[in-house]
Amino acid sequence: MKEDDLIICRCEEITLGEIKEAVKLGMTTMNEIKRFTRAGMGLCQGKTCRHLVANIVCCETKQPPSALVPSTYRPPIRPVSLGILSKRLSDDDPKERLP
Amino acid sequence: MRRIEDHPILGKSERGRKVTLFFDGQLIEALEGEPVATALMAAGHRVLRYTHQHLEPRGIFCALGRCTDCMMIVDGQPNVRTCITPVRDGMTVETQRGQGQRRDQQPLRGGMD
Repeated sequence: MKEDDLIICRCEEITLGEIKEAVKLGMTTMNEIKRFTRAGMGLCQGKTCRHLVANIVCCETKQPPSALVPSTYRPPIRPVSLGILSKRLSDDDPKERLP
Repeated sequence: MRRIEDHPILGKSERGRKVTLFFDGQLIEALEGEPVATALMAAGHRVLRYTHQHLEPRGIFCALGRCTDCMMIVDGQPNVRTCITPVRDGMTVETQRGQGQRRDQQPLRGGMD
């Protein structure tokens, strides 16, 4: 197996080679990499690959991690079904509320 | 494969009663309250889903509810993290292909094309 075939983003199946290629094409912030490759846009929302992607970008651009513009963080933090979000709290059964 | 009964840090496991779940139509013996993914691994089933782009098999990876590699269709509901979902008697779990679909739904997405 070639190193570039290593899967970095497991949810969207994005490889090390694809992220390196994106950097070569000029994507140097976390948001640019995310929108260009979809790394971090899958089911886990980057929880597994975020740090790996940041390290790869830093290595490829030869900059310290502190200089890297981080990706945007938005709620919800955990996977939540749209059904739960659309439920009015007044109709909510307390037993079904999220912890 | 056997379960760890006496863990060096967590101590002796408190076992639930023996129950059955249905995995792709097959009867599996499990312990009530243990994670679904654990029960399947103990029964020798390591593939829990297939990815949506290349249809590659995935199994337990983080086992913490973070990585979503253990997503399966549980009682008709797709994208359930089975590593943090406790076993209930008579529950139905199915191998998920791609991003899954509810029984009353068309497939959500087949790939990036």
